[in-house]
Amino acid sequence: MAITDTFKRLYARQGLAMLLTAGLLLEATALIQYHFSKQGLRDEADRRAQSEMTVARLRIENTTLSVENDARSLSRALSEKLYTPEQFAPLIQRLMENNEVLVNGFIAMEPDYYRWEGRWFEPVVSRRDNGFETIRLGSAEHDYFNTDWYRFAMDNEDGYWSEPYFDADVTQDMVVTFSVPVKDTQGRKVGVFGVDVELTWLDKLIESVQPYQDAYGTLVSRGGMLLGAPAETLTVDRTLRYETLIGRTGWKMSVVIPEDEIYGGIKRVGLIVTLLQLLGLLLLILIIWRSAREQMKLEEAQAGKEKMENELHIAREIQMSMIPKIFPPFPERHDLDLNAVIVPAKEVGGDLYDFFIRDEQLFFCIGDVSGKGVPASLVMAVSRSLFRTVAGHETSPSRIVTSMNDAMAEINESSMFVTFFCGVLDMASGHMRYCNAGHNAPVMLTDAKRMLPVESNLPLGVMAGFTFSEQETDLSYDDAIFLYTDGLTEAENSAKELFGEERMKAALSGRKSAADHMQAIKQSVHEFVGDAPQSDDLTMLFIHFMNENPSTDRHLVLHNNIQQIPQLADFIETIAVEKNLDQALAMNLNLALEEAVTNVIMYAYPDGADGLVDIEAILREGSLEFVVSDSGRPFDPTARPEADVTLQAEDRPIGGLGIFLVRHIMDKVDYARINGKNVLTMTKFI
Amino acid sequence: MEVIITTEGSETVAQLIGRLDTPASQEVSEALAPLQDKADGTIVLDCRQMSYISSSGLRIFLMLRKATAVKGGKVIVRGISNDIRNVFMMTGFLNLFQIEP
Repeated sequence: MAITDTFKRLYARQGLAMLLTAGLLLEATALIQYHFSKQGLRDEADRRAQSEMTVARLRIENTTLSVENDARSLSRALSEKLYTPEQFAPLIQRLMENNEVLVNGFIAMEPDYYRWEGRWFEPVVSRRDNGFETIRLGSAEHDYFNTDWYRFAMDNEDGYWSEPYFDADVTQDMVVTFSVPVKDTQGRKVGVFGVDVELTWLDKLIESVQPYQDAYGTLVSRGGMLLGAPAETLTVDRTLRYETLIGRTGWKMSVVIPEDEIYGGIKRVGLIVTLLQLLGLLLLILIIWRSAREQMKLEEAQAGKEKMENELHIAREIQMSMIPKIFPPFPERHDLDLNAVIVPAKEVGGDLYDFFIRDEQLFFCIGDVSGKGVPASLVMAVSRSLFRTVAGHETSPSRIVTSMNDAMAEINESSMFVTFFCGVLDMASGHMRYCNAGHNAPVMLTDAKRMLPVESNLPLGVMAGFTFSEQETDLSYDDAIFLYTDGLTEAENSAKELFGEERMKAALSGRKSAADHMQAIKQSVHEFVGDAPQSDDLTMLFIHFMNENPSTDRHLVLHNNIQQIPQLADFIETIAVEKNLDQALAMNLNLALEEAVTNVIMYAYPDGADGLVDIEAILREGSLEFVVSDSGRPFDPTARPEADVTLQAEDRPIGGLGIFLVRHIMDKVDYARINGKNVLTMTKFI
Repeated sequence: MEVIITTEGSETVAQLIGRLDTPASQEVSEALAPLQDKADGTIVLDCRQMSYISSSGLRIFLMLRKATAVKGGKVIVRGISNDIRNVFMMTGFLNLFQIEP
């Protein structure tokens, strides 16, 4: 038989149409995946840039605010001393001794304020290598009345930050002046007090703003002068740019990230996806080609009914090739026994299940598409792809389901919907979080058999923007969860009776492997249904949790972003309830943990790299142990100086309280550098 | 975290409501900035509805205390809970502030 002849018939039989549909479907899936990945990366970049800018801004403001406060308070102190100008210099010097970024401090009086001193009176205290020196500026050559720092300070109660300039008089370096008016006791402005702030510390600080390898930060003044920037920057066309203003200074910090650096990874993935798609299409061509030939033979011999069945068989084959069906799926694992099955009805349907393990968490789902036939099976394929895509980077079941729902509601033109159950089981602890979108409640096989409590929510694809609620439960050793579609409970016998939940629970008896359970239920349904035709797909998923020592340790992972700190309160609250701790102790533990984690965020990742802070709580009889670890640069908080809490307010430094609190709340605090990680172990006896 | 600033006679009262943890201390620091200008008078930090404070929050208190030390005012801390009082005691803050019930 000629090949051309075969192809002609293939075309005539809509084989090509099916091929085109499959191609379009694959393309749509890839586009959705690309969109989600790109959005995810963009969010990540936003978060990193904002987080780093905030840290850098807070550090800069720490200095500028202290300069502003110092200058304002000294200006007030000077007002009291207007009758004794010889006391100006000692006062200014005392201020500068306490704030080392100040290189000059000076007071400049209105014309002829002190008649005997002449028109100009401007004593300047300057920092020298070996102490302080006081000189007199202010003369016809140095006529300060028209300088910005003088004029604007006279007009502005809160003070004025000047543009940076080269200080030729004293420091021979770039400085910026902050000046405030000085008033006499009647509130008249009689002069200006100013401080010059050196700027070398800004360069280093700005260089540390680098959320990505080739990203960089810059700091420019109100007038556009560069205050700080890395020595070299790359020039690229497409960049993302973030900006923030620094307090009253008018300085603007920017972070520039080349887009290539954010999205670079997607391109490679895109290539792989394209290759996989081509492979998939080839496979389809092969299947269609083969079946076309089979069909030809059939056509020659048999009636049209069988032809139809064969076509559905192809659709079924494509559908089934998408879900994992090699069991046991994780032969190397002894803590999990899992089995799943789809018993297809005669007509192709839209049931699905899927599962995979990522980061020691089992992601699993089961779903049932409304309707039957090829459209249902296409929606099933889209659902499964979406699940893989979204669950590849999301770990919260409710967020997975919400994302899937939004995507499906958007593209859902045929108003089909999917009932769906999604779970995430932590293999270390047995903790399971789940989200139910209008699906049947699974059966929990613990000491007793019971239905897992589920909130029904809505099925997927009904309403975009719907917020799905999340629930949780804990599995112990030997507990199992059984998921199914209504093809099981609604299986009908010839007397039109339904199989129902009671028969289902009864069939789930005895201690046996997941595969044997599946076999037993199939057997039970088969006996019940008898000769009646199966009208709907029957899909089941059995998960047997077999971790003999699920850890009771509590675990929390945070990003190095201070906005995540409030999660610690919930974390401690859970432990406090479990260990029956009183409120005072719980608050102290929260405080110690917050200080330890804040230290990591502020000091272990100074270059702004994205990192995680891992917090583990080990609950023992008589003691609680908290282990805070991170992969940042070596940083030993216990080596930092502690605050001296006996000093008076004037003498107390601002820092050092954090580690002091950790030491005083906890009974034991140890730091170690282990396998490239900072590990801080804090123990509290209870 | 919410901050409400009112003036009662010669006193400036800042009501702190909620948890003063590290992320909150940034906004609180900004909200309390105007008090720097009142540092020559009496500043009352009303903590009756403050349920928690971390070292970054304590730093804000200390900065205010320093500002008043320079300008001759004073800071009164009002209505701290026993748990927070304990933190003040640990850190020596009880000696730095005038504490009122």
